[in-house]
Amino acid sequence: MAPTSRAAWEQAYARVESALRSAGAASAADLPALEETRIRFLGRKGELTELLKALKDLPLEERKALGPKGNALKESFEAAIASRRAELEDAGDAASLKNETVDLTLPALRPPRGRLHPLTVTLREIADIFHRMGYDWAEGPFVEDERHNFSALNFPPDHPARDSQDTFYLEGLPLLLRTHTSTVQIRAMEASRPPIRVVCPGRVFRHEQTDVTHSAVFHQVEGLVVDRGAGFSDLKGHLQTFLEALLGRGTKTRFRPSYFPFVEPSAEVDVKCFLCPGSGCPACKRTGWIEILGAGVVHPKVLEGVGWDPEQWSGFAFGIGVERVAMLLHGVRDLRDFYVNDLRFLNQFDEDLA
Amino acid sequence: MKISLNWLGEHLDHGLDAAALCVLLARLGFEVAGRERRGAAFRGVVVGKVLSRDKHPNADKLSVCVVDDGTARWNVVCGAPNVAAGQAVAFARLGAELPGGLKIGKAKLRGVESQGMICSREELGLAKDGEGIWVLDAATAPGRDVASLLGPADDVLDVEIAPNRPDALSHRGLARELAAALGKPLKPLPAAALAAASGAAFPVSVEDAAACPYYSARLIEGVKVGPSPAWLKSRLEAIGLKPINNVVDATNFVLHDVGQPLHAFDADKLAGNRIVVRRAKAGETLLALDHKIYPLAGCLTIADADKSVALAGVMGGEASAVGEKTARILLEGACFAPAEVRRSSQRTRLRSESSYRFERGVDPELAAAASARAAALILQIAGGKAAQACEAAAPGERRPPIQTSAARINAILGTSFSEAEIAGALRPLAAELKAAGGSLEFRAPSWRRDLANAWNLAEEAGRFLGYDRVPYRLAPLAPRAASLTPAECASRRIRARLAALGLCEAYNYDLLSEKALAAARLPSENLPRVANPISEDWAVLRPSLLPGLLRNAQHNLSRGAESVRLFELGKVYARKNGAVEELWRVAGLLLGPAMQARWQPGRAPDAEFADAKAVVEDLLSRAGALSWAGLDAPAAGKTASDPLFHPANSLRALAGATPLATLGWLHPRVARAHDLERAGVVVFDLDLEALAALTRPRVQARSLSPFPPVRRDLALVVREEVPYGDVERLILGAAGEILQAVELFDVYRGKGVEPGGKSFAVRLTFGRADRTLTDVEVGETVNSRVLPALIRSGARPRC
Repeated sequence: MAPTSRAAWEQAYARVESALRSAGAASAADLPALEETRIRFLGRKGELTELLKALKDLPLEERKALGPKGNALKESFEAAIASRRAELEDAGDAASLKNETVDLTLPALRPPRGRLHPLTVTLREIADIFHRMGYDWAEGPFVEDERHNFSALNFPPDHPARDSQDTFYLEGLPLLLRTHTSTVQIRAMEASRPPIRVVCPGRVFRHEQTDVTHSAVFHQVEGLVVDRGAGFSDLKGHLQTFLEALLGRGTKTRFRPSYFPFVEPSAEVDVKCFLCPGSGCPACKRTGWIEILGAGVVHPKVLEGVGWDPEQWSGFAFGIGVERVAMLLHGVRDLRDFYVNDLRFLNQFDEDLA
Repeated sequence: MKISLNWLGEHLDHGLDAAALCVLLARLGFEVAGRERRGAAFRGVVVGKVLSRDKHPNADKLSVCVVDDGTARWNVVCGAPNVAAGQAVAFARLGAELPGGLKIGKAKLRGVESQGMICSREELGLAKDGEGIWVLDAATAPGRDVASLLGPADDVLDVEIAPNRPDALSHRGLARELAAALGKPLKPLPAAALAAASGAAFPVSVEDAAACPYYSARLIEGVKVGPSPAWLKSRLEAIGLKPINNVVDATNFVLHDVGQPLHAFDADKLAGNRIVVRRAKAGETLLALDHKIYPLAGCLTIADADKSVALAGVMGGEASAVGEKTARILLEGACFAPAEVRRSSQRTRLRSESSYRFERGVDPELAAAASARAAALILQIAGGKAAQACEAAAPGERRPPIQTSAARINAILGTSFSEAEIAGALRPLAAELKAAGGSLEFRAPSWRRDLANAWNLAEEAGRFLGYDRVPYRLAPLAPRAASLTPAECASRRIRARLAALGLCEAYNYDLLSEKALAAARLPSENLPRVANPISEDWAVLRPSLLPGLLRNAQHNLSRGAESVRLFELGKVYARKNGAVEELWRVAGLLLGPAMQARWQPGRAPDAEFADAKAVVEDLLSRAGALSWAGLDAPAAGKTASDPLFHPANSLRALAGATPLATLGWLHPRVARAHDLERAGVVVFDLDLEALAALTRPRVQARSLSPFPPVRRDLALVVREEVPYGDVERLILGAAGEILQAVELFDVYRGKGVEPGGKSFAVRLTFGRADRTLTDVEVGETVNSRVLPALIRSGARPRC
């Protein structure tokens, strides 16, 4: 039924053109109506599509003459559709911009957010500084023997130095709960050959009544370096580097003589109080200085005890209390707060998960 | 140790004030823990007599008193409730200066002029002891300067002395350190000239010369026991000691002056006129000076002919104590082996100033001189005649000098001090020092038992030259890629995962009470126990982390928390073959809604088993395929936490044959014991050691299929008791390799499903990496392989 002559085609053309006019693409009420019109004329079997298809059945000469006419009709129809579509979409957008608002002030749907314990974060912060300085991470058992906790560290039997290490002993076993992470120094040396550079973080136990600043369970980070020619000045250099990394560049330190049986010379290390301008506050006991580390040069008996020659090898060791640092850094006033696990306490420590 | 600066001045003119002295002591390694000012810090305060007290006309709480200050009468307004006529009080005259710079002038208080001030102890800077004015002895004469009632002004320091420095446990000992630091000479001790008038002997025999290398007994006859003179009382009171009588005070004075513990016996109470230093006999006891009876078994004692009269180096007996009627005393000056005294002190749990010094080591050459000094002092203040001391002395050991060099000391310190500097620092400390040609020979004095090697001398050189002169050095230690332990690697991974999954990390003690174990249904028989617990709460080493977390959950609920998600990573303990096995584990607890979104109904369900399962599966993802078993299944094995779990509603996750984790509800009895019955608690407990041991090769990326997957949904009705896991396993087994995933998306009971049954809706995802699957292939897999297998097992497809 396709027109096969020029006259028939032109008739059909006039019909389609009139139909297009009366369909009024430019005035379609909404997008579905517009699409319906488009399909009516330009769909696979649309009227305009059919008209253009019919061209191919005409002789070449006529095709050449009529083709542009048909295409022009198509183009103008397409332009009308596109322009009306744009109009309708704009109108629709305007309506939805006006009407489709939601209450954005409703609270967020928060997935549960966990936290690492502040002691984990502090311990790791301390130990990782040394780790980055080339210290291997080392650990040891919590249940220890007398040798690793005392005698190998040059605490002679029946010596008052042991009084500072109030110890939990185990019932019916020649064992105790380690009172310091210095035990790991010995274990690390026993397990290797010099040189050695280890950082030994972990939990320790003291037979002490629990109060605002004491706990029967607490944490230390111990460090040990043994190398040829390592001396007290290297200890000072390493600890200064560490304390500046922990507390900030320019942190002032002070080394005072002290006594720990496993190091000689022994020292206690103070930092200039970072909570007050040096004038004195409760944290520094009004001295302007905060005691933060114990340290010293490895005692020759400790080296001899693990079979290392103190004439060839020397080193230094140090220890720091994790709870004390966490309390200073975070303003925690009662040490017991760390072990109650009150979520209101724990949730405050919004550190990034390291 | 308390140090009086006035007393210190008898040994050294240090020329420093208290503050400067504290700084110097700290630099030398003697921390000053406290500082106390004694005596008057005020001027113009005299004793006043309150003649009358009347109520203030314009104020209820004030009174108007007339005070006689010995020269005139004054009207004084006073606010203290305890002021009364007839009292002797501390009266600040007009013009007086009180601590803190307050000057007393005329003042009008509510219309009444006050001509001075009646002071409290606190206002005089003396003590904070409650409210009210300081009421003096009524007999004190008006007009007397109150400062004169207080004794001389003094500073008293509380100095911490490390256990290796017993030589510094006296005024002279500390003065010696300061003298070395300041380069000033010590003042000589007063000569202890004893005219040996009495020839009476008191033979001494020492049965264990190693335990008691020196003993001297000196008889002093004709003493008159009484109160000490004021100067001596004042010395002792300054350092917090209570004066007792002139003899005892003299020995205490010498102890704190030069550091030698001494003891005075009433010689008439000693049987047989002799002293034996020996081991206590079986069953022997001593009534000590503290009025308590101590069993002496095994201890070194001082005995007379019959019985022990003192625990050597620790304390004397009450029966032979010096009292008012004592006329003959026996003065002991001895040296006891440190370990010997420490053992005695520990066995008897008896400590004294004497044992404190002996167990640290008293200068073995001090006893003879100190005893003579005390005897001279006793003669001076208590009269009498002293005999020659009877001594028993083991041959003194002569310690070899320390041979080292300035270079060695510099190497230990990492310094470059000159030989002269080092020798200069060490010389004041040495009995003898030779420094020549690079080598250094140091002979330690008898009181420095702690100096034995080059390291000790390095510390001394460092102390006196100043630790601040040691440079900060970062020696060229080789850079290295430092390693972490496998346990630490696993811990970091797991902590990060658990925190990301919304759990907060908890820290609990490793010690538990029997009660906590029982509440968690955990047996305590095979657990390591502390022999000396602080309290019953911390008696047993924990076999599981869960009792701690249950306590934490209880605590948080009681504080108003509605949701608790906690985990802990820690060690658990068991006795094994005569040793203690400690293993890392990680445990967790979930309770209450995970999301906080009340405003959206149905979005915040309480935690259930499947939530804990998600956490555990996440942690175990690197273990590969898991299998699940009930806790009673033979493959499941046993763990220490098992009794705490609900026996039916709990599962064990296994990788191959290795049990890795347990998760489930609480046993109802455990829930009840922790007030958690209604809370719906899910817990898990995971073997961190096994997890740390799992190694996984690096992830190798696979190429992604460009062909779209094909999905088919099935609804299957099964009997209520058929677990979903069986259905899933059946589908996976029947479908062959084109089945890529099975996902459960609904469990339905009700209309359309017969009673006693339930319907699982599952979505099957099919695909191939090399081409698009056809509908026919998928339909054939479902219809002729999957469905028949399901039907054979009793399931019914529902349309």
